[in-house]
Amino acid sequence: MSPLTIAVASGKGGTGKSSVSASLAVSVPDILAVDADVEEPNLGVLLGAEPLESALISLKVPAIDRRLCTRCGECVSACKFGALTMFGETPPKVNDLCHGCGLCTMVCPTGAISEIDRPIGEIRHCKTIKGELYEGRLHVGKPNPVPVIEGLIKTVQGINVPKVIDCAPGNACPMVAGVRYADAVLLVTEPTPFGAADLDLALQAVTNLGKPVGVLVNRSDLAAADIDGLAAKYGAPVLARLPFSRKIAAAYAEGTPPALADSLWAMELGKIWDFFESTLNR
Amino acid sequence: MKPHEIVVISGKGGTGKTTLTSLLVASFGKTVICDADVDAPDLEILLKPEPLGEKPFWGMQTAKVDPSLCAGCSACVRACRFDAITMAEGKAVVNTSFCEGCDVCRRVCPESAISLLDTRQGTSYEGLTDFGPMWHAKLNPGGENSGKLVQFLRESALRTAREKGIPLILTDGPPGIACPAISAMTGADLAIVVTEPSGAAFHDVDRLSQVTARFGIPTAFVINKADLAPRMTEKLKEEAKAGNWKIIGEIPFKRAVVDAVAETRIPVLELEEEIKLIRKELDVFL
Repeated sequence: MSPLTIAVASGKGGTGKSSVSASLAVSVPDILAVDADVEEPNLGVLLGAEPLESALISLKVPAIDRRLCTRCGECVSACKFGALTMFGETPPKVNDLCHGCGLCTMVCPTGAISEIDRPIGEIRHCKTIKGELYEGRLHVGKPNPVPVIEGLIKTVQGINVPKVIDCAPGNACPMVAGVRYADAVLLVTEPTPFGAADLDLALQAVTNLGKPVGVLVNRSDLAAADIDGLAAKYGAPVLARLPFSRKIAAAYAEGTPPALADSLWAMELGKIWDFFESTLNR
Repeated sequence: MKPHEIVVISGKGGTGKTTLTSLLVASFGKTVICDADVDAPDLEILLKPEPLGEKPFWGMQTAKVDPSLCAGCSACVRACRFDAITMAEGKAVVNTSFCEGCDVCRRVCPESAISLLDTRQGTSYEGLTDFGPMWHAKLNPGGENSGKLVQFLRESALRTAREKGIPLILTDGPPGIACPAISAMTGADLAIVVTEPSGAAFHDVDRLSQVTARFGIPTAFVINKADLAPRMTEKLKEEAKAGNWKIIGEIPFKRAVVDAVAETRIPVLELEEEIKLIRKELDVFL
Protein backbone atom coordinates (compact mmCIF):
# COMPACT_ATOMS: atom_id res chain seq x y z
CA MET A 1 0.00 0.00 0.00
CA SER A 2 1.41 3.36 -0.99
CA PRO A 3 2.12 6.03 1.64
CA LEU A 4 -0.62 8.46 2.63
CA THR A 5 -1.34 11.67 0.69
CA ILE A 6 -3.44 14.33 2.43
CA ALA A 7 -4.75 17.43 0.63
CA VAL A 8 -5.29 20.56 2.72
CA ALA A 9 -8.08 22.77 1.38
CA SER A 10 -10.48 25.33 2.81
CA GLY A 11 -13.09 27.08 0.71
CA LYS A 12 -12.44 30.43 2.34
CA GLY A 13 -8.91 31.76 1.91
CA GLY A 14 -6.66 32.71 4.80
CA THR A 15 -8.04 30.17 7.26
CA GLY A 16 -4.61 28.62 7.72
CA LYS A 17 -4.10 26.03 4.95
CA SER A 18 -0.43 26.84 4.51
CA SER A 19 0.14 26.99 8.27
CA VAL A 20 -1.37 23.51 8.59
CA SER A 21 0.51 22.15 5.57
CA ALA A 22 3.81 23.60 6.76
CA SER A 23 3.20 22.21 10.25
CA LEU A 24 2.56 18.72 8.84
CA ALA A 25 5.65 19.12 6.68
CA VAL A 26 7.84 19.68 9.75
CA SER A 27 6.11 17.06 11.95
CA VAL A 28 5.60 13.90 9.87
CA PRO A 29 8.76 11.85 9.16
CA ASP A 30 9.91 11.69 5.50
CA ILE A 31 6.92 13.70 4.28
CA LEU A 32 7.06 15.59 1.00
CA ALA A 33 5.43 19.04 0.92
CA VAL A 34 3.53 19.94 -2.27
CA ASP A 35 2.25 23.46 -2.97
CA ALA A 36 -0.68 23.24 -5.38
CA ASP A 37 -1.83 26.82 -4.83
CA VAL A 38 -0.03 27.69 -8.04
CA GLU A 39 -1.45 31.21 -8.34
CA GLU A 40 0.02 32.19 -4.99
CA PRO A 41 2.47 29.45 -3.92
CA ASN A 42 3.70 30.61 -0.52
CA LEU A 43 4.22 27.36 1.40
CA GLY A 44 7.92 27.78 0.56
CA VAL A 45 7.97 31.05 2.51
CA LEU A 46 7.03 29.13 5.67
CA LEU A 47 9.41 26.27 4.95
CA GLY A 48 12.47 28.35 4.06
CA ALA A 49 12.56 26.84 0.59
CA GLU A 50 15.68 27.00 -1.56
CA PRO A 51 15.19 25.95 -5.18
CA LEU A 52 17.23 22.97 -6.35
CA GLU A 53 15.85 22.62 -9.87
CA SER A 54 12.97 23.81 -11.97
CA ALA A 55 11.00 22.43 -14.92
CA LEU A 56 8.61 24.27 -17.21
CA ILE A 57 4.99 23.20 -17.50
CA SER A 58 3.65 23.66 -20.98
CA LEU A 59 0.35 23.44 -22.71
CA LYS A 60 0.11 21.92 -26.19
CA VAL A 61 -1.17 24.80 -28.27
CA PRO A 62 -1.78 24.95 -32.02
CA ALA A 63 0.86 26.19 -34.43
CA ILE A 64 -0.62 27.01 -37.81
CA ASP A 65 1.38 26.55 -41.02
CA ARG A 66 0.46 29.60 -43.08
CA ARG A 67 1.38 27.82 -46.33
CA LEU A 68 -1.23 25.11 -45.70
CA CYS A 69 -3.93 27.19 -44.00
CA THR A 70 -6.78 28.10 -46.36
CA ARG A 71 -8.46 30.33 -43.71
CA CYS A 72 -11.57 28.16 -43.90
CA GLY A 73 -12.38 28.96 -40.26
CA GLU A 74 -13.14 25.34 -39.24
CA CYS A 75 -10.81 25.53 -36.23
CA VAL A 76 -12.15 28.91 -35.14
CA SER A 77 -15.75 27.74 -35.08
CA ALA A 78 -14.92 24.35 -33.53
CA CYS A 79 -12.96 25.74 -30.58
CA LYS A 80 -15.17 25.82 -27.47
CA PHE A 81 -12.91 28.22 -25.59
CA GLY A 82 -12.75 31.13 -28.02
CA ALA A 83 -9.00 30.55 -28.17
CA LEU A 84 -8.67 31.07 -31.92
CA THR A 85 -9.51 34.32 -33.67
CA MET A 86 -9.16 35.28 -37.31
CA PHE A 87 -9.22 38.73 -38.86
CA GLY A 88 -8.47 39.75 -42.42
CA GLU A 89 -6.08 37.76 -44.56
CA THR A 90 -3.85 36.14 -41.94
CA PRO A 91 -4.29 32.63 -40.49
CA PRO A 92 -6.03 32.31 -37.09
CA LYS A 93 -4.16 33.45 -34.00
CA VAL A 94 -4.08 31.59 -30.66
CA ASN A 95 -4.76 33.47 -27.43
CA ASP A 96 -4.31 32.62 -23.72
CA LEU A 97 -7.76 30.98 -23.50
CA CYS A 98 -6.41 27.79 -25.15
CA HIS A 99 -6.93 24.73 -22.93
CA GLY A 100 -4.71 22.49 -25.07
CA CYS A 101 -7.46 20.00 -25.92
CA GLY A 102 -6.18 19.25 -29.43
CA LEU A 103 -9.53 19.69 -31.19
CA CYS A 104 -8.32 22.26 -33.75
CA THR A 105 -5.56 19.93 -34.90
CA MET A 106 -8.20 17.26 -35.37
CA VAL A 107 -10.66 19.33 -37.40
CA CYS A 108 -8.26 21.15 -39.75
CA PRO A 109 -9.05 19.79 -43.25
CA THR A 110 -5.62 20.59 -44.69
CA GLY A 111 -3.43 19.38 -41.83
CA ALA A 112 -2.13 22.90 -41.32
CA ILE A 113 -2.18 22.70 -37.53
CA SER A 114 0.47 21.02 -35.45
CA GLU A 115 1.07 21.44 -31.73
CA ILE A 116 3.84 23.19 -29.91
CA ASP A 117 4.59 23.53 -26.22
CA ARG A 118 3.74 26.91 -24.72
CA PRO A 119 5.07 27.37 -21.17
CA ILE A 120 2.41 28.54 -18.70
CA GLY A 121 4.16 27.81 -15.43
CA GLU A 122 6.92 25.90 -13.72
CA ILE A 123 7.49 23.26 -11.10
CA ARG A 124 10.20 23.97 -8.57
CA HIS A 125 11.87 21.27 -6.55
CA CYS A 126 13.19 22.85 -3.35
CA LYS A 127 15.13 21.96 -0.24
CA THR A 128 13.43 23.17 2.94
CA ILE A 129 14.29 23.50 6.63
CA LYS A 130 13.05 19.96 7.09
CA GLY A 131 12.89 17.97 3.90
CA GLU A 132 11.76 18.77 0.40
CA LEU A 133 9.06 20.74 -1.38
CA TYR A 134 7.61 20.66 -4.86
CA GLU A 135 5.73 23.79 -5.80
CA GLY A 136 3.81 24.77 -8.92
CA ARG A 137 4.00 28.40 -10.07
CA LEU A 138 1.64 29.74 -12.68
CA HIS A 139 3.32 32.35 -14.84
CA VAL A 140 2.00 35.79 -13.93
CA GLY A 141 -0.77 36.90 -16.29
CA LYS A 142 -1.76 33.40 -17.44
CA PRO A 143 -5.44 32.63 -16.80
CA ASN A 144 -5.54 28.85 -16.34
CA PRO A 145 -3.83 27.30 -13.30
CA VAL A 146 -5.27 23.78 -13.71
CA PRO A 147 -2.66 22.32 -16.11
CA VAL A 148 0.12 23.52 -13.80
CA ILE A 149 -1.58 21.82 -10.84
CA GLU A 150 -2.05 18.63 -12.85
CA GLY A 151 1.58 18.67 -14.01
CA LEU A 152 2.69 19.12 -10.41
CA ILE A 153 0.53 16.27 -9.11
CA LYS A 154 1.77 13.94 -11.89
CA THR A 155 5.35 14.78 -10.99
CA VAL A 156 4.96 13.98 -7.29
CA GLN A 157 2.81 10.88 -7.83
CA GLY A 158 5.96 9.05 -8.86
CA ILE A 159 7.67 9.75 -5.53
CA ASN A 160 6.86 7.01 -3.03
CA VAL A 161 6.70 8.93 0.26
CA PRO A 162 3.88 10.43 2.38
CA LYS A 163 2.71 13.80 1.03
CA VAL A 164 0.81 16.87 2.10
CA ILE A 165 -0.73 18.93 -0.71
CA ASP A 166 -1.49 22.59 0.04
CA CYS A 167 -4.42 23.48 -2.26
CA ALA A 168 -5.80 26.68 -3.78
CA PRO A 169 -8.51 28.56 -1.87
CA GLY A 170 -12.09 28.53 -3.15
CA ASN A 171 -14.33 25.71 -4.31
CA ALA A 172 -13.78 25.76 -8.07
CA CYS A 173 -11.63 23.79 -10.50
CA PRO A 174 -8.19 24.69 -9.02
CA MET A 175 -9.20 23.32 -5.62
CA VAL A 176 -10.68 20.19 -7.21
CA ALA A 177 -7.47 19.61 -9.23
CA GLY A 178 -5.42 19.79 -6.02
CA VAL A 179 -7.50 17.27 -4.06
CA ARG A 180 -8.27 14.94 -6.99
CA TYR A 181 -5.55 12.34 -6.37
CA ALA A 182 -5.26 12.67 -2.59
CA ASP A 183 -6.32 9.81 -0.29
CA ALA A 184 -8.18 12.19 2.02
CA VAL A 185 -8.85 15.89 2.47
CA LEU A 186 -8.36 18.06 5.55
CA LEU A 187 -10.55 21.18 5.39
CA VAL A 188 -9.29 24.11 7.44
CA THR A 189 -11.93 26.58 8.56
CA GLU A 190 -12.63 29.24 11.17
CA PRO A 191 -15.87 29.55 13.18
CA THR A 192 -16.97 32.84 11.55
CA PRO A 193 -20.04 33.17 9.30
CA PHE A 194 -17.68 33.45 6.27
CA GLY A 195 -15.73 30.37 7.33
CA ALA A 196 -18.92 28.36 7.82
CA ALA A 197 -20.53 29.44 4.53
CA ASP A 198 -17.42 28.51 2.54
CA LEU A 199 -16.86 25.28 4.48
CA ASP A 200 -20.36 24.19 3.48
CA LEU A 201 -19.44 24.62 -0.20
CA ALA A 202 -16.05 22.95 0.27
CA LEU A 203 -17.66 19.94 1.97
CA GLN A 204 -20.05 19.62 -0.97
CA ALA A 205 -17.21 19.81 -3.50
CA VAL A 206 -15.07 17.24 -1.67
CA THR A 207 -17.85 14.79 -0.82
CA ASN A 208 -19.01 14.95 -4.48
CA LEU A 209 -15.58 13.54 -5.33
CA GLY A 210 -16.11 10.75 -2.78
CA LYS A 211 -13.05 11.73 -0.72
CA PRO A 212 -12.77 10.95 3.01
CA VAL A 213 -12.70 14.33 4.74
CA GLY A 214 -11.95 15.80 8.16
CA VAL A 215 -12.25 19.34 9.49
CA LEU A 216 -9.78 21.45 11.45
CA VAL A 217 -11.21 24.53 13.19
CA ASN A 218 -8.54 27.21 13.33
CA ARG A 219 -8.85 30.30 15.60
CA SER A 220 -11.57 28.25 17.30
CA ASP A 221 -12.16 30.84 20.03
CA LEU A 222 -12.62 33.86 17.74
CA ALA A 223 -16.30 33.27 16.98
CA ALA A 224 -18.99 30.67 17.48
CA ALA A 225 -20.47 29.57 14.14
CA ASP A 226 -21.77 26.00 14.35
CA ILE A 227 -18.97 24.13 12.57
CA ASP A 228 -19.75 20.86 14.38
CA GLY A 229 -23.33 20.79 13.12
CA LEU A 230 -22.23 21.60 9.60
CA ALA A 231 -19.49 18.94 9.56
CA ALA A 232 -21.92 16.37 11.00
CA LYS A 233 -24.33 17.05 8.11
CA TYR A 234 -21.66 15.64 5.77
CA GLY A 235 -20.46 12.95 8.19
CA ALA A 236 -17.10 14.72 8.47
CA PRO A 237 -15.30 14.47 11.83
CA VAL A 238 -13.97 17.65 13.47
CA LEU A 239 -10.40 16.54 14.14
CA ALA A 240 -8.94 19.51 16.00
CA ARG A 241 -9.66 22.96 17.38
CA LEU A 242 -6.78 25.40 17.60
CA PRO A 243 -7.31 28.73 19.38
CA PHE A 244 -6.18 32.12 18.09
CA SER A 245 -2.84 33.20 19.47
CA ARG A 246 -0.84 36.35 18.82
CA LYS A 247 2.31 34.27 19.24
CA ILE A 248 1.28 31.99 16.34
CA ALA A 249 0.24 34.97 14.21
CA ALA A 250 3.60 36.65 14.82
CA ALA A 251 5.52 33.44 14.07
CA TYR A 252 3.54 32.97 10.85
CA ALA A 253 4.22 36.57 9.83
CA GLU A 254 7.94 36.00 10.18
CA GLY A 255 7.75 32.76 8.21
CA THR A 256 7.80 30.10 10.96
CA PRO A 257 5.45 27.08 10.74
CA PRO A 258 3.12 27.16 13.79
CA ALA A 259 4.12 23.60 14.78
CA LEU A 260 7.65 24.91 15.48
CA ALA A 261 6.32 27.82 17.55
CA ASP A 262 3.64 26.03 19.56
CA SER A 263 3.64 22.45 20.87
CA LEU A 264 -0.17 22.28 20.74
CA TRP A 265 -0.05 22.62 16.95
CA ALA A 266 2.64 19.93 16.65
CA MET A 267 0.65 17.57 18.86
CA GLU A 268 -2.76 18.12 17.22
CA LEU A 269 -1.41 17.79 13.68
CA GLY A 270 0.46 14.63 14.63
CA LYS A 271 -2.86 13.23 15.87
CA ILE A 272 -4.64 14.20 12.67
CA TRP A 273 -2.02 12.42 10.57
CA ASP A 274 -2.32 9.30 12.75
CA PHE A 275 -6.11 9.45 12.45
CA PHE A 276 -5.99 9.42 8.64
CA GLU A 277 -3.30 6.71 8.61
CA SER A 278 -5.32 4.40 10.82
CA THR A 279 -8.75 5.05 9.26
CA LEU A 280 -7.31 4.54 5.77
CA ASN A 281 -5.27 1.49 6.88
CA ARG A 282 -1.85 2.84 5.95
CA MET B 1 -20.62 59.17 -17.96
CA LYS B 2 -19.22 55.73 -17.26
CA PRO B 3 -19.56 54.84 -13.57
CA HIS B 4 -16.30 54.38 -11.67
CA GLU B 5 -15.48 50.85 -10.62
CA ILE B 6 -13.29 49.97 -7.65
CA VAL B 7 -12.35 46.31 -7.23
CA VAL B 8 -11.00 44.91 -3.96
CA ILE B 9 -8.50 42.07 -4.45
CA SER B 10 -5.72 40.44 -2.42
CA GLY B 11 -3.72 37.68 -4.06
CA LYS B 12 -3.62 35.73 -0.81
CA GLY B 13 -7.01 34.76 0.58
CA GLY B 14 -8.39 35.74 3.96
CA THR B 15 -6.69 39.13 4.26
CA GLY B 16 -10.01 40.96 4.70
CA LYS B 17 -11.37 41.78 1.20
CA THR B 18 -15.01 41.22 2.08
CA THR B 19 -14.90 43.13 5.36
CA LEU B 20 -13.16 46.10 3.70
CA THR B 21 -15.60 46.05 0.78
CA SER B 22 -18.56 46.15 3.18
CA LEU B 23 -17.00 49.09 5.01
CA LEU B 24 -16.44 51.01 1.79
CA VAL B 25 -20.01 50.28 0.70
CA ALA B 26 -21.32 51.66 4.00
CA SER B 27 -19.00 54.66 3.78
CA PHE B 28 -20.04 55.64 0.25
CA GLY B 29 -23.68 55.00 1.15
CA LYS B 30 -24.97 54.69 -2.41
CA THR B 31 -23.23 52.33 -4.83
CA VAL B 32 -23.84 49.33 -7.03
CA ILE B 33 -22.29 46.30 -5.33
CA CYS B 34 -20.82 43.27 -7.06
CA ASP B 35 -19.52 40.13 -5.32
CA ALA B 36 -17.11 38.61 -7.83
CA ASP B 37 -15.83 35.88 -5.51
CA VAL B 38 -18.29 33.41 -6.97
CA ASP B 39 -16.89 30.19 -5.57
CA ALA B 40 -16.78 31.49 -1.98
CA PRO B 41 -19.26 34.41 -1.92
CA ASP B 42 -19.58 35.99 1.51
CA LEU B 43 -20.45 39.65 1.00
CA GLU B 44 -24.19 38.91 1.16
CA ILE B 45 -23.71 37.72 4.74
CA LEU B 46 -22.90 41.31 5.78
CA LEU B 47 -25.04 43.25 3.27
CA LYS B 48 -28.15 41.03 3.47
CA PRO B 49 -29.64 41.89 0.09
CA GLU B 50 -33.36 41.56 -0.38
CA PRO B 51 -33.67 39.16 -3.35
CA LEU B 52 -35.04 40.64 -6.58
CA GLY B 53 -34.39 37.76 -8.93
CA GLU B 54 -32.14 34.86 -9.85
CA LYS B 55 -30.94 33.22 -13.03
CA PRO B 56 -29.26 29.90 -13.75
CA PHE B 57 -25.68 30.21 -14.97
CA TRP B 58 -24.88 27.89 -17.85
CA GLY B 59 -21.14 27.46 -18.13
CA MET B 60 -19.28 25.14 -20.47
CA GLN B 61 -21.16 22.16 -21.80
CA THR B 62 -20.11 18.71 -20.61
CA ALA B 63 -20.00 15.40 -22.48
CA LYS B 64 -22.44 12.56 -21.93
CA VAL B 65 -22.15 9.01 -23.24
CA ASP B 66 -25.25 7.11 -24.32
CA PRO B 67 -24.45 3.62 -22.96
CA SER B 68 -26.83 1.94 -25.41
CA LEU B 69 -24.72 3.24 -28.31
CA CYS B 70 -21.24 2.95 -26.73
CA ALA B 71 -19.30 0.02 -28.26
CA GLY B 72 -16.56 0.22 -25.61
CA CYS B 73 -13.72 1.06 -28.04
CA SER B 74 -12.09 3.56 -25.62
CA ALA B 75 -11.24 6.02 -28.42
CA CYS B 76 -12.67 8.82 -26.30
CA VAL B 77 -10.67 7.78 -23.23
CA ARG B 78 -7.43 7.97 -25.26
CA ALA B 79 -8.34 11.28 -26.89
CA CYS B 80 -9.40 13.13 -23.73
CA ARG B 81 -6.56 15.34 -22.49
CA PHE B 82 -8.25 15.98 -19.14
CA ASP B 83 -8.51 12.35 -17.92
CA ALA B 84 -12.25 12.91 -17.61
CA ILE B 85 -13.41 9.62 -19.17
CA THR B 86 -12.98 6.14 -17.76
CA MET B 87 -14.31 2.72 -18.75
CA ALA B 88 -16.76 0.98 -16.43
CA GLU B 89 -18.22 -2.40 -17.31
CA GLY B 90 -17.18 -1.99 -20.93
CA LYS B 91 -18.77 1.45 -21.37
CA ALA B 92 -17.25 4.92 -21.36
CA VAL B 93 -18.28 7.14 -18.44
CA VAL B 94 -17.63 10.90 -18.22
CA ASN B 95 -16.70 12.42 -14.89
CA THR B 96 -18.28 15.87 -15.24
CA SER B 97 -16.07 17.31 -12.46
CA PHE B 98 -13.14 17.11 -14.85
CA CYS B 99 -14.82 17.44 -18.27
CA GLU B 100 -13.92 20.78 -19.86
CA GLY B 101 -16.47 20.47 -22.67
CA CYS B 102 -13.83 20.63 -25.42
CA ASP B 103 -15.82 18.38 -27.81
CA VAL B 104 -12.88 16.09 -28.71
CA CYS B 105 -14.57 12.91 -27.44
CA ARG B 106 -17.78 13.56 -29.36
CA ARG B 107 -15.83 13.99 -32.58
CA VAL B 108 -13.68 10.86 -32.17
CA CYS B 109 -16.53 8.54 -31.19
CA PRO B 110 -17.16 6.16 -34.15
CA GLU B 111 -20.65 5.26 -32.82
CA SER B 112 -21.87 8.84 -32.32
CA ALA B 113 -22.62 7.83 -28.74
CA ILE B 114 -21.48 11.10 -27.20
CA SER B 115 -23.31 14.40 -27.02
CA LEU B 116 -22.51 17.68 -25.30
CA LEU B 117 -25.14 18.91 -22.87
CA ASP B 118 -25.67 22.31 -21.34
CA THR B 119 -24.63 22.13 -17.72
CA ARG B 120 -25.81 24.42 -15.00
CA GLN B 121 -22.69 25.64 -13.22
CA GLY B 122 -24.30 27.98 -10.73
CA THR B 123 -26.82 30.73 -10.07
CA SER B 124 -26.61 34.52 -10.31
CA TYR B 125 -28.66 36.81 -8.09
CA GLU B 126 -29.86 40.39 -8.21
CA GLY B 127 -30.71 41.99 -4.89
CA LEU B 128 -31.25 45.27 -3.11
CA THR B 129 -29.26 46.30 -0.04
CA ASP B 130 -29.56 49.34 2.23
CA PHE B 131 -26.74 50.86 0.18
CA GLY B 132 -27.87 50.08 -3.36
CA PRO B 133 -28.41 47.27 -5.86
CA MET B 134 -26.24 44.17 -5.57
CA TRP B 135 -25.19 41.47 -8.04
CA HIS B 136 -23.81 38.23 -6.70
CA ALA B 137 -23.67 34.53 -7.57
CA LYS B 138 -22.96 31.02 -6.40
CA LEU B 139 -20.86 28.71 -8.50
CA ASN B 140 -21.77 25.06 -7.94
CA PRO B 141 -19.13 23.52 -5.66
CA GLY B 142 -16.32 22.17 -7.82
CA GLY B 143 -17.67 24.05 -10.84
CA GLU B 144 -15.80 25.41 -13.85
CA ASN B 145 -15.75 28.73 -15.55
CA SER B 146 -15.90 31.22 -12.76
CA GLY B 147 -14.28 33.81 -15.06
CA LYS B 148 -17.35 33.85 -17.28
CA LEU B 149 -19.68 34.19 -14.32
CA VAL B 150 -17.58 37.05 -12.93
CA GLN B 151 -17.76 38.79 -16.29
CA PHE B 152 -21.55 38.40 -16.32
CA LEU B 153 -21.86 39.93 -12.83
CA ARG B 154 -19.66 42.90 -13.68
CA GLU B 155 -21.55 43.59 -16.90
CA SER B 156 -24.83 43.39 -14.98
CA ALA B 157 -23.55 45.75 -12.29
CA LEU B 158 -22.41 48.24 -14.93
CA ARG B 159 -25.80 48.12 -16.65
CA THR B 160 -27.61 48.68 -13.34
CA ALA B 161 -25.31 51.59 -12.46
CA ARG B 162 -26.03 53.23 -15.82
CA GLU B 163 -29.80 52.63 -15.63
CA LYS B 164 -30.06 54.00 -12.12
CA GLY B 165 -27.52 56.79 -12.57
CA ILE B 166 -25.30 55.51 -9.73
CA PRO B 167 -21.74 56.76 -10.30
CA LEU B 168 -19.83 54.05 -8.39
CA ILE B 169 -19.51 50.26 -8.48
CA LEU B 170 -17.71 48.42 -5.65
CA THR B 171 -16.59 44.91 -6.53
CA ASP B 172 -15.43 42.32 -3.99
CA GLY B 173 -12.91 40.24 -5.92
CA PRO B 174 -11.67 36.66 -5.58
CA PRO B 175 -8.26 35.64 -4.24
CA GLY B 176 -5.53 34.47 -6.60
CA ILE B 177 -4.15 35.90 -9.82
CA ALA B 178 -5.67 33.74 -12.57
CA CYS B 179 -8.94 33.52 -14.51
CA PRO B 180 -11.55 34.83 -12.02
CA ALA B 181 -9.19 37.47 -10.57
CA ILE B 182 -8.25 38.70 -14.03
CA SER B 183 -11.95 38.75 -15.02
CA ALA B 184 -12.72 40.77 -11.89
CA MET B 185 -10.08 43.45 -12.46
CA THR B 186 -9.71 44.09 -16.17
CA GLY B 187 -11.02 47.52 -17.06
CA ALA B 188 -11.61 48.59 -13.43
CA ASP B 189 -10.65 52.17 -12.56
CA LEU B 190 -8.86 51.21 -9.37
CA ALA B 191 -7.77 48.00 -7.67
CA ILE B 192 -7.46 48.08 -3.89
CA VAL B 193 -5.16 45.30 -2.73
CA VAL B 194 -5.81 44.20 0.86
CA THR B 195 -2.72 42.66 2.34
CA GLU B 196 -1.34 41.73 5.74
CA PRO B 197 2.14 41.90 7.22
CA SER B 198 3.47 38.40 6.61
CA GLY B 199 6.14 36.85 4.45
CA ALA B 200 3.47 34.85 2.62
CA ALA B 201 1.34 37.93 1.89
CA PHE B 202 4.41 39.87 0.59
CA HIS B 203 5.14 37.09 -1.80
CA ASP B 204 1.54 37.12 -3.06
CA VAL B 205 1.28 40.90 -3.35
CA ASP B 206 4.40 40.96 -5.46
CA ARG B 207 2.84 38.57 -7.99
CA LEU B 208 -0.53 40.31 -7.89
CA SER B 209 0.97 43.73 -8.57
CA GLN B 210 2.69 42.30 -11.65
CA VAL B 211 -0.78 41.31 -12.87
CA THR B 212 -2.39 44.71 -12.17
CA ALA B 213 0.59 46.38 -13.88
CA ARG B 214 0.27 44.10 -16.89
CA PHE B 215 -3.41 44.97 -17.28
CA GLY B 216 -2.73 48.67 -16.65
CA ILE B 217 -4.94 49.00 -13.56
CA PRO B 218 -4.12 51.76 -11.06
CA THR B 219 -3.46 50.02 -7.75
CA ALA B 220 -3.59 51.08 -4.10
CA PHE B 221 -2.80 49.07 -0.97
CA VAL B 222 -4.41 48.65 2.44
CA ILE B 223 -2.46 46.85 5.18
CA ASN B 224 -4.85 44.89 7.35
CA LYS B 225 -3.96 43.50 10.80
CA ALA B 226 -0.99 45.88 10.61
CA ASP B 227 -0.19 45.64 14.34
CA LEU B 228 0.04 41.82 14.41
CA ALA B 229 3.60 41.98 13.06
CA PRO B 230 4.91 45.58 13.28
CA ARG B 231 8.35 44.68 11.93
CA MET B 232 6.81 43.14 8.80
CA THR B 233 4.51 46.15 8.40
CA GLU B 234 7.56 48.44 8.36
CA LYS B 235 9.24 46.16 5.83
CA LEU B 236 6.11 46.21 3.68
CA LYS B 237 6.10 50.01 3.75
CA GLU B 238 9.77 50.11 2.69
CA GLU B 239 9.06 47.76 -0.20
CA ALA B 240 6.06 49.83 -1.14
CA LYS B 241 8.24 52.92 -1.33
CA ALA B 242 10.80 51.12 -3.48
CA GLY B 243 8.15 49.61 -5.74
CA ASN B 244 6.12 52.81 -6.00
CA TRP B 245 3.07 51.15 -4.46
CA LYS B 246 0.60 53.55 -2.93
CA ILE B 247 -0.52 52.61 0.59
CA ILE B 248 -3.85 54.29 1.36
CA GLY B 249 -4.55 52.89 4.79
CA GLU B 250 -3.69 50.67 7.71
CA ILE B 251 -6.14 48.67 9.80
CA PRO B 252 -5.19 47.15 13.17
CA PHE B 253 -6.35 43.74 14.36
CA LYS B 254 -9.32 44.34 16.65
CA ARG B 255 -11.24 41.65 18.43
CA ALA B 256 -14.32 43.91 18.19
CA VAL B 257 -14.13 43.75 14.37
CA VAL B 258 -14.15 39.95 14.46
CA ASP B 259 -17.09 40.08 16.88
CA ALA B 260 -19.06 42.43 14.60
CA VAL B 261 -18.52 40.16 11.59
CA ALA B 262 -19.47 37.14 13.73
CA GLU B 263 -22.77 38.93 14.35
CA THR B 264 -23.01 39.51 10.55
CA ARG B 265 -22.70 43.25 11.15
CA ILE B 266 -20.50 45.66 9.17
CA PRO B 267 -17.87 46.92 11.66
CA VAL B 268 -18.58 50.57 10.86
CA LEU B 269 -18.11 51.95 14.38
CA GLU B 270 -15.16 49.72 15.19
CA LEU B 271 -13.14 51.05 12.24
CA GLU B 272 -14.63 54.51 11.82
CA GLU B 273 -11.34 56.44 11.97
CA GLU B 274 -9.42 54.05 9.71
CA ILE B 275 -12.11 54.08 7.01
CA LYS B 276 -12.38 57.89 7.17
CA LEU B 277 -8.70 58.12 6.23
CA ILE B 278 -9.05 55.59 3.41
CA ARG B 279 -12.10 57.48 2.11
CA LYS B 280 -10.12 60.70 2.02
CA GLU B 281 -7.53 59.05 -0.25
CA LEU B 282 -10.22 57.51 -2.46
CA ASP B 283 -12.09 60.80 -2.83
CA VAL B 284 -8.89 62.40 -4.15
CA PHE B 285 -8.62 59.57 -6.65
CA LEU B 286 -12.25 59.72 -7.75
